Amino acid sequence: MDTIFSGLATGFMVALTPFNLMLVMGGCFFGTLIGALPGIGPINGVAILLPIAYSLGFPPESALILLAGIYYGAEYGGRISSILLNVPGDAGAVMTTLDGNPMARKGEAGRALSLSAVASFIGGTVSIVLMTLFAPVLSKFAVTFSPADYVALMVFAFASLASLVGKNPTKTLLGALIGLMLATIGIDANTGVARYAFGIPDLLAGIDFLIVVVGLFGMAELLSLVEEQLSGRLKTLPVDKSFVRWADMAKAKWTILRCSIIGFIIGVLPGTGASVASAVAYGTEKRLAGEDGKLFGTGDVRGLAAPESANNAAAGGAMVPMLTLGIPGSGTTAILLGALLMFNIQPGPLLFTQHPEIAWGLIASMYVGNVALLLINLPLVGLFARLLLIPQHYLTPLIAILSFVGIYSIVGNPFDLFLIVGLGVFGWFLKKMQFSLAPIILGFVLGGLFEGNLRRALSISGGDWGILFEDYQSLLLYGLAILVVVGPAYVSYRNRKAAKLNA
Amino acid sequence: MADRIFSGVLFLVTLAYAVIAFTSIKAPFQYDPLGPETWPQLLSVVALLCIAHVFWRPDVHDAGVPRMMWVRLGYMVLLMLAYAELYERLGFVVSTMLYAGTASRMLGAKLVNAAIFAGVAGIGGYLLCSVILDMNLPFGEWFEVLLSSGE
Repeated sequence: MDTIFSGLATGFMVALTPFNLMLVMGGCFFGTLIGALPGIGPINGVAILLPIAYSLGFPPESALILLAGIYYGAEYGGRISSILLNVPGDAGAVMTTLDGNPMARKGEAGRALSLSAVASFIGGTVSIVLMTLFAPVLSKFAVTFSPADYVALMVFAFASLASLVGKNPTKTLLGALIGLMLATIGIDANTGVARYAFGIPDLLAGIDFLIVVVGLFGMAELLSLVEEQLSGRLKTLPVDKSFVRWADMAKAKWTILRCSIIGFIIGVLPGTGASVASAVAYGTEKRLAGEDGKLFGTGDVRGLAAPESANNAAAGGAMVPMLTLGIPGSGTTAILLGALLMFNIQPGPLLFTQHPEIAWGLIASMYVGNVALLLINLPLVGLFARLLLIPQHYLTPLIAILSFVGIYSIVGNPFDLFLIVGLGVFGWFLKKMQFSLAPIILGFVLGGLFEGNLRRALSISGGDWGILFEDYQSLLLYGLAILVVVGPAYVSYRNRKAAKLNA
Repeated sequence: MADRIFSGVLFLVTLAYAVIAFTSIKAPFQYDPLGPETWPQLLSVVALLCIAHVFWRPDVHDAGVPRMMWVRLGYMVLLMLAYAELYERLGFVVSTMLYAGTASRMLGAKLVNAAIFAGVAGIGGYLLCSVILDMNLPFGEWFEVLLSSGE
């Protein structure tokens, strides 16, 4: 307990310096702004702004605080376009449209927005408190992990990714493999052998992480926006003066608390983030509501509060494995992990002892950011809503301009600009074929770590693969991996059988 | 069908990846039991199995992109490639103005509005990013040549 308090004190000293405080506020504001734009989710926002934040030349903890603010803000802002436009910014916001949009159509947009802001705030806060309690413990436990355990951990991460994300597990796994394969390009750090560089000097150092991120999540998104633009004009509902009532809060308080905890736990699971959390939370609440469950989908306050508290709790939960194990809990935290690596900081069990100012500074800034977001969001929601009216024909080129600025300003190499366009086209095709892109970035970020640990483990054993299955920690992780694959498959098999019996 | 074409292409690329992994990647001196080639070999085998599965049971039959859309998307990609090509030569201000203008016009902005947007994006963007935030943006090779020959 003492370490937690002294850690938090260190963290708040970092987060409350005027400069970092300004960055949290700025990050939250711009994050909300980007999240509110229709069709652009948190992951795209963080991806597009990451290289810019990187090349501003801030110290690592400040840059990271800014990025976390953007991430958090975007997660918050996503609900605005879900509620007013019925267009979710990303998969995590889909569930918000179910009850949020009907409320807005009934003329209660203000109530829906303020209720969801409060639900998000509570979800976010609960998850940060849980994170403060659990992260140091987990990191202490993780220090004892051997390379073989890390390999098992990766297997678990990819297993839960394949089984819980996306519709087609094979495609999710294939996406992760594409990411892992992209990560092998360049000089192998152990032996100095060039792999898949084909003598192109720009590829010898490997494809830069930022380029993959901006290509897949900036440029590919741009092409999707171009494509969607013709298919119908978006119509936004007006924000009125209605506001969340105490009665709503009283009705939804247990929902919010339950869903915050559900969201946090799902967020912690490697690979699964806000989208799974909000779907599970919504489903659980609907079942728990019993007879009232029929009202879900028609503008029920609980149906709105459930996914919103869950996805913000998951956003915090996803930071836990990233900070303590170096394994991101979601696509967006994979990007944050990559950002840490760019600053030469290896997230993992040693982060809390080696760089306490970064680990705790980040956690403290999330407390500050959460409060800031509530304060920004309640009065300024009208302003953000007006942003939804920005025509797509300005927004779309703007994405390209921001991406180009960010990528060029890193090293000033025009070859990189062609690479992001090429990766954008590739990403767009993948999206068309119903691949989700988050597994690719997870694979790409974890590639080096996965291979490095595997090789280290086998070096220890002198080439005997048996070392991977030796101690109880790794066996436990393989067991969990099997559980996470077989569990959902068994449940859906049983449901199908039940449906057949009923029919 | 769309799925099959895509997975077919992916298959060929991965096959090439696998061939390289199994034949040409070799360390001149073995430092660790696995060496640089084992990991790509493992990846390529698993990936080929996954691709075969997608090919066997495709779930996307039609990309759902009408022909006009291909043209527009192609045009957008070309614009971005041109933007990338001209980025250093013309510098940020001029290339961004050209790109922002043509792209927003193509996406349906009125001519006057597109021009205003182009001006704001080019000049405003340069002032904000390069002058205020001190980021590294190209000034334009051609202008530098012009300026230096004038002296």
